[in-house]
Amino acid sequence: MLVPVTYSTRSLLVRRWTSIFTAGGIGLVVAVTILLAGLVGGLQRMLVGTGDPDNLVVLRKGATNDGSSFLTREAVQIVRALSGIATGADGRPLVSPEIINQPFIRTREGGRENVLVRGIEPVAFQVHRDVRLVEGRMLQPKLGEVVVGKGVALRHDGAHVGGRLSFGRRTWTVVGVFDGGGTAFESEIWADLSDVQDDARRPSGCSGIRLRVAPGADRQALIDRIAADARVTLEAKPETVYYEEQADAANSLYVLVLVLAVIMATGATFGALNTMYAAVAGRTAEIGTLRALGFSRTAILLSFLSESLLLAAGGFVGGVVLGVVAMWAVNTLLQGVAFSMMTFSVATVLLQPSTTGVLLGLLFAVAIGGLGGLAPAWRASRLRVVDALHRA
Amino acid sequence: MTYGRLVLRNLSRHPLRSLFTTLSIALSIFLVCAVLSLPSALAAILDKAVSNTRITVHHEAGLTYLLPASYVNKVRGVPGVAAVNHFTWFGGIYDEPKNMFPNFGIDPDTVADMWPDYKIDPAALRRFRAVRNAALVGEQTMRKFGWKVGQMITLRGTAFPVNLTFEIVGMIPAASGNPVVLWFHHKYLEESLQPRPGWPFSGFPFVGMVWVQVDRPEHVERVMRDIDALFHNSEAETAAETEKSFFQNFMSSYQGFIRVILGVGFLVVAAVVLIAANTSAMGVRERIPEIAVLKSLGFRRRPILTVLLCESMLQGLVGGAVGAAGAFFLFRALAAAGKTGGLGPLLGPLGSFYMSPATAMQGLAIALVVGFVSGIVPAWNGARLNVIDALRRLF
Repeated sequence: MLVPVTYSTRSLLVRRWTSIFTAGGIGLVVAVTILLAGLVGGLQRMLVGTGDPDNLVVLRKGATNDGSSFLTREAVQIVRALSGIATGADGRPLVSPEIINQPFIRTREGGRENVLVRGIEPVAFQVHRDVRLVEGRMLQPKLGEVVVGKGVALRHDGAHVGGRLSFGRRTWTVVGVFDGGGTAFESEIWADLSDVQDDARRPSGCSGIRLRVAPGADRQALIDRIAADARVTLEAKPETVYYEEQADAANSLYVLVLVLAVIMATGATFGALNTMYAAVAGRTAEIGTLRALGFSRTAILLSFLSESLLLAAGGFVGGVVLGVVAMWAVNTLLQGVAFSMMTFSVATVLLQPSTTGVLLGLLFAVAIGGLGGLAPAWRASRLRVVDALHRA
Repeated sequence: MTYGRLVLRNLSRHPLRSLFTTLSIALSIFLVCAVLSLPSALAAILDKAVSNTRITVHHEAGLTYLLPASYVNKVRGVPGVAAVNHFTWFGGIYDEPKNMFPNFGIDPDTVADMWPDYKIDPAALRRFRAVRNAALVGEQTMRKFGWKVGQMITLRGTAFPVNLTFEIVGMIPAASGNPVVLWFHHKYLEESLQPRPGWPFSGFPFVGMVWVQVDRPEHVERVMRDIDALFHNSEAETAAETEKSFFQNFMSSYQGFIRVILGVGFLVVAAVVLIAANTSAMGVRERIPEIAVLKSLGFRRRPILTVLLCESMLQGLVGGAVGAAGAFFLFRALAAAGKTGGLGPLLGPLGSFYMSPATAMQGLAIALVVGFVSGIVPAWNGARLNVIDALRRLF
C-alpha cells in the first residue's frame, strides 16, 4: 500500500516558505536553461535557416565568407552561362551577383556598429525565396534607394518606408521593408548593386554569387563544373553548407550553455537535499506512525521521493513561465540580442522558444528532484519504528 | 564559550547541511566569476592596450572603406604627430577557417615609436625591420598554435587572393594587452599582389587605417581635428578618434550578448540566495527553543542577531572563496594552455579571456552579500523572538 499523494502535497504546503524557496531555486535553473537554449536556438535557426538547399553560394576560391570574397564581372557572365541553373519567369537565369559591404551605422544610443549592406539586382528576390517585401516597394537602381530587413527596421530610427538612413558615403532613402522568414537577411540592408559598387569604390566587381539550381539538375555536377572552370578561380557550395559553417560557433556556444546549466543544477540539488533532509528529520515521529500503521519501507521511500519530485515539478512549471516571460521581454522590449557575427556586422537574434530547451529544463528539474530526494527518502525508509516513535 | 565558537558549533551541528549550502554557494560564485570575466576582460583590454597619446584614423564611412596609401605621409606632416603607422587587414587563416585571428600588414620602421608601451624586444624589432617576410606574433597566438620564434608559417589569405609565408622573428608580449595579433610588412603583401585570373589589380595603394602617436597628451584633441580637416571634402573623409574610443566602439557590438550573460549571472545569484536563505531559515526555526533560552539568560538582541548572521556570512565567505579561487585558477590554467579561444569567431576578442584577481574579489564580495541577504531575515526573526511564546512552546 502506498502513502497517499496528498500526504506529500500537504507536507509541502505546511512548510510553505521552504517549499517555495527550494522550488524557486529549481525554477531559476530551469529558466536559465530555457533562456540560454532559446538564445542558441535562435542563433542556429537564423544561420541554418538562412540556407536554401536549392541555392549555391559562389565565392572566390579561398574566401571563407562573402565579406572577404571578390569576383569580376567576367566571372559573373561565365557563371550565368553555365547549364543546370534555374530560370525565372522571364527566361533569365536565376543568378544573383551580390556585393557585401559593412559600413558604420549610428545606433540609437549614439554609438556605431557595422551593418551588413548587400548590393543586389532585382533577381535577388527570386533567388532568395524566403525574402519578400512586406511594406513599400522594390528599390530602383542608381537612385540610392534601399529596402531594409525587419530586424534593421526595429533597431534603427530612420529605417522605415520614407525614412532616410546615413551610411557609407551618402544618405539613402528607405523605400521598403522585407521579411526574411527569420533568416540572417533580416538584419541586412539591401541596396542596388551598382550603388553599392560606387559607394565601396569597387566598380565592376561583386563579392559573390547566389544562384538557384534548376529543378531536377545535378547540384554536385554544377558545383564541380564551377570549380573546374579554368577561366575563373571560383568555388561553389550549397547555401545550407555555407550557413552551417557559419553556425559552427553557435554549436560551441551550446556546450557553454550545458556546462553552465549543469553547474547551476548541481547547486540546486544541494538545496533540495537540504530541504528534504530537514523534512525527514522534522517528521521522524510521523514516519514512525506511518510505519506503525503498516506502510512499508518502500512506500515511505516512494512517498518522500515523490515529495521531492513534486517540489521539482512546481519549480519546473515556475521556471518555464519565468523563462518564457524573460524571452518575451528580451524579444519585444530589447528587440532581441544583437550579435556580432563572423563578418563583424551586427545581426539581431530573436530568442527561439524550443522544445529542446524545455526538455533540457525538465531533465534538470527531474535530476534535481530525484537526486535531491533519494538520499533523504532512503534515510526516512531506514528509520526504525521503535526509535522513531520513541522520539515522539 | 566565545561567540566565534558558538557560530562554528552551530554550523557543525548539521555538517552535511552546512557543506551542501557552502558548496552550492561555491558553485554559483564559480559561475558568477566566469560570467563577470567577460565584461571585465573588455575593460582589461581597454586599460592595458590603450595609450592616451595614440589615435586611430579610419575612413569616416566604416572600416571596410580603405584609405589611400598617400594619406600616411600626409598625416605625418601634421604638427604634433610624433609617429605614424598603418594597418591593413589581411584576414589570413592558419590551417582551418576556425583559426581566424587578426593579422595586419604594417610599417615595420615605426613600431617602436608607435607602440613603445608594448615592450617588444629590440633585437626582435631589428630583425623585423630587416627581413622582408618577417612577422611579429602575439604571445597568446604563439601558444595557441604552438609556434616558435624562427619558425616559418603560411597564412591562407581570405581578403586577398594570396597565401603568405612568414618567418616569425619575435613575440608581442601578453602584457601589451594585444596578445593575439600578427603583424607583417605591408610591402610584402603589396608585392605579392599581381594581376591574375579573377584579380585585375596590381599592387595595393591603400591602407585600412592609420595609427598616430601624438607627441603630448594635450595635443591629442587638436591633432585629431587637424587630421579630419586635412581630408575634409576629399575622396576619402576620415574620422580620427582616440585608441580608447576606437576599441570601445569596436566592442560595443558585443553588448547585447554581454547583457544576456550578465542577466544569467543575476539569475544564478538569485537562485543561490533562495537556497541559502532557506537553509538559514531552517537553522533558525529548529533552534527557536535555544534562542529563547539564550535570551532568557540575558543575551540581548544584537549578539544573537550577530551570531546568526555570522553563520550565513561565514558560509558565504567560505563558499565564495572556494568558488572564486576555483574559477581564478581554472581560467588561469586554461589561458596558460591557450585553450579559452574556442568561441573565437563569435566572441572575437572576448573569446580569449582570462580572469583578473579583481573579478575574483568581486565574486567573493557577491558571496558575502549572498550570505548577508540570505541570513538577515531569519536572523532578524530569531533575534526578535518573543521569549515567553518561545518558551511556552517548549514546555
